[in-house]
Amino acid sequence: MILIGELSLWVALLMAAWSTTVSFAGGATRRADLTDSGVRGLYATFAMIVLASIGLWTALLTKDFSREYVAGHISSTMPSVYIFTAFWSGQAGSLLFWSLILSMYGTVAIATSRRRNAELTPWATGTISAILLFFVATTCFKANPFTRLDFIPLDGRGMNPQLQNPGMAIHPPNLYLGYVATAIPFAFAIAALFSRRLDAEWLGIVRRWTLLSWFFLTIGIVLGMWWAYVELGWGGYWAWDPVENASFLPWLTNTAFLHSIMIQEKRGMLRKWNVVLVVMSFLLAIFGTTMTRSGVIESVHSFAQSPVGPWFLTFFALSAGVTIYLVATRLRDLEAKAELESMVSREAAFLYNNLLLVGIAFAIFWGTVFPVLSEWVTQNKITVGPPFFNAVNVPLGLLLLALTGIGPLIAWRKASVSNLKRQFATPTSVGLITGALLFALGMRAPNVLVAYILCGFVMGTIVQEFYKGMRARQTIHGESVVTAFNHLVARNRRRYGGYIVHAGIVMLFAAFAGLAFKSENDVTLKTGEAYETSDPYGHKWRFVSQGVSTSEPRDAQVIGVGLDTYRDGKRVGVIRSEKRAYHDAQGNPLFNPITAVGIRTTPALDTYVTLAGVRDANTAELRITFNPLVVWVWTGGFVMMIGGLIVMWPQAERRRAQAGYVAVMPPATAGVPVGT
Amino acid sequence: MTDEMAKSVSRRAFLAGAGAGFGSMVVAARAVAQQQNPRATHDSSLVRDTTNFGVMDMAVKPVRLPPKPNAVKQLTNAQRDALEHQLHCQCGGCTLDVFTCRTTDFTCQVSPAMHRDVMGLVEGGYSAQEIIDAFVASYGERVLMAPTRSGFNILAWVSPGIAVLAAGAFILAFLKRSQSAKTAPLGPAAKGVDATDDELARLEAAIRRDRE
Repeated sequence: MILIGELSLWVALLMAAWSTTVSFAGGATRRADLTDSGVRGLYATFAMIVLASIGLWTALLTKDFSREYVAGHISSTMPSVYIFTAFWSGQAGSLLFWSLILSMYGTVAIATSRRRNAELTPWATGTISAILLFFVATTCFKANPFTRLDFIPLDGRGMNPQLQNPGMAIHPPNLYLGYVATAIPFAFAIAALFSRRLDAEWLGIVRRWTLLSWFFLTIGIVLGMWWAYVELGWGGYWAWDPVENASFLPWLTNTAFLHSIMIQEKRGMLRKWNVVLVVMSFLLAIFGTTMTRSGVIESVHSFAQSPVGPWFLTFFALSAGVTIYLVATRLRDLEAKAELESMVSREAAFLYNNLLLVGIAFAIFWGTVFPVLSEWVTQNKITVGPPFFNAVNVPLGLLLLALTGIGPLIAWRKASVSNLKRQFATPTSVGLITGALLFALGMRAPNVLVAYILCGFVMGTIVQEFYKGMRARQTIHGESVVTAFNHLVARNRRRYGGYIVHAGIVMLFAAFAGLAFKSENDVTLKTGEAYETSDPYGHKWRFVSQGVSTSEPRDAQVIGVGLDTYRDGKRVGVIRSEKRAYHDAQGNPLFNPITAVGIRTTPALDTYVTLAGVRDANTAELRITFNPLVVWVWTGGFVMMIGGLIVMWPQAERRRAQAGYVAVMPPATAGVPVGT
Repeated sequence: MTDEMAKSVSRRAFLAGAGAGFGSMVVAARAVAQQQNPRATHDSSLVRDTTNFGVMDMAVKPVRLPPKPNAVKQLTNAQRDALEHQLHCQCGGCTLDVFTCRTTDFTCQVSPAMHRDVMGLVEGGYSAQEIIDAFVASYGERVLMAPTRSGFNILAWVSPGIAVLAAGAFILAFLKRSQSAKTAPLGPAAKGVDATDDELARLEAAIRRDRE
């Protein structure tokens, strides 16, 4: 099976090359037979990559240590679930995984859209195949997971224990699913540019796949934050690491697209801009991969670096060049069908939203590449760390949060003054009351107060929208509260699912703002000694060391400390943190020792204990951090996921037949309030 | 030149521009290839040095100055920790600041060494800015968590703001233009419709309802 997999990979390479060639030829000559052959070539590539993947999984699960990839990424003592996930934990495997997802997506996308989009099919198939060709070629020539070793080692190297975590098992595949999904809208954007056709069908496909990409990127990013928080032990979940930034960039442009696409659907405007956003998301996804693979920018994520960097850089430059050429030469085919009518309208709000999302993306991109730029220009090595990203992004982020609340309150086309007054009254009051309450409770930091006022305002908007919708249903259909809520969401999945996503965003912002009150305590404790401090809410905490303990499970040496913890005099339990040093079956040390963090979570705050080291058998050095509101990051992420699922739910598809419909009407006279 | 050509770039113009761009990109790609550090060979994982301690020791550069005469500590411990939040751990593998790194990662030999240097300077009576300057003198600017606000680095700080403002101005101009474009031709077009404003509003509402 392993051998079949190895050979299939090479067949996939040939298939992808074939499919690329004949698809583009089919598009250029309008010959249906060539297009058909290209499409079948894509399906065959998918089948071959599935075989290759089965081959690699077989090699891993049968522990065939004669393969370099297997010996380098698993060991005989590892739990089998992580042997399975080792498929994507290294360079070569993750490249194959990319190809697997891309060929699967490509097959599904082409198979489902083929009949309705005969003109786009050859170009889209060709583009998907070309991207596949690149990935399979890189896998074959530069990072082949089937490469054999000259000798057969007794045992493999195993997986970094920090990666042996349930979050880490599913975080990378989610990110890959998100990254790769940007390739489908990209392929259809290229197809639209080649065939000069950009209509409602196109919109439907591109929107669906962008949503999918957004959905998986959201899950991937939040899981990554969670993993960093519980596993790395530095007390935070976002460090503006280049690779974190790389996953965030396509998320931002995807989000921008999902908003501006609504203007194109409703009003036929922003067609050029939407194509640019689709292309940007894909290029940023490739840029992210390039960065992690090339080693150009240093990062803790450089778990797997190898000489595929130049290949990725070339591919990135090539795809950027081709797209810029296509967009530049075909701009006139994408003229708007209507014009904006007012600076105070839903359309304008979406434009500002796009400005901020893309602005944030630019700021992050800029900060990420600036060290490289600076070194080229001034030979001066510098670091662009969290202080920079926070300073630049906090104002933009707050503006964006404000728009999250403002946008849904403004009518399409043109909002009237009375309309604005009526819509804004409640949300604004909620925001101001929130601010006044917090001020009365002693909160003084202006940035944070503004953040919470805006959180209140946006929540007010969301609740008001739900309330109005439900009231209308109750009055018209005489439904109960629960039925009205269910029907409201079910009949307008996109709108109300979107509001639920917004609610998740508010939770995230509330949690981010809470970090301003984080407090860190550097503590040295002998057995029986107590440390007393108070948390940001003013509660008194007392930590008593239970002493340093050591143990030796099968594959590691463990040093741990337990803290008897009291809050306001009441015992709340033991918080325990450990250091673990892993070794292989022969007792040779593997990897750097890792920290197991002790976390006590409540909705108000996390008590986060890290064992920094031990001085002697009795004395432990610890860091005790109070992290307010962290649990709301995960909750917010989960709520966003639910909202995303509601928006994506297939039943919403039927109504999209009307997408792209543009009403040509005289301007509204008195700002008739119209819904989405 | 037709209107069409003015709006979209001609193929020839594009290729000329792209040629120049590609040339500079090749130069850039070369520079990247040259810069790639030896860590890039890491994937032959079986021969990897698991400790990295040798590398780490080399990363530490002593930052020591003679104590000031009649040295008095100028910084409290909290201020010292805040100072360490501004210094980047130089182990090469992490992206953390010295305080965060030394209090969490006991395998890192670099951040404790940097911490000792900070302590020495604090004891020697140096101010926060003097300590930061001393670290920059030894390690260069990369020891700072964020770029300074001077010289070429100003570009790092102002570009995002300028970009957002410029794009914002563009959007406003775009909105203005479509508004003024709207007022002119719509008069005569509306005349052709035999309906009152109220009727038009009701028509629009009906169309919207239909679409919902």
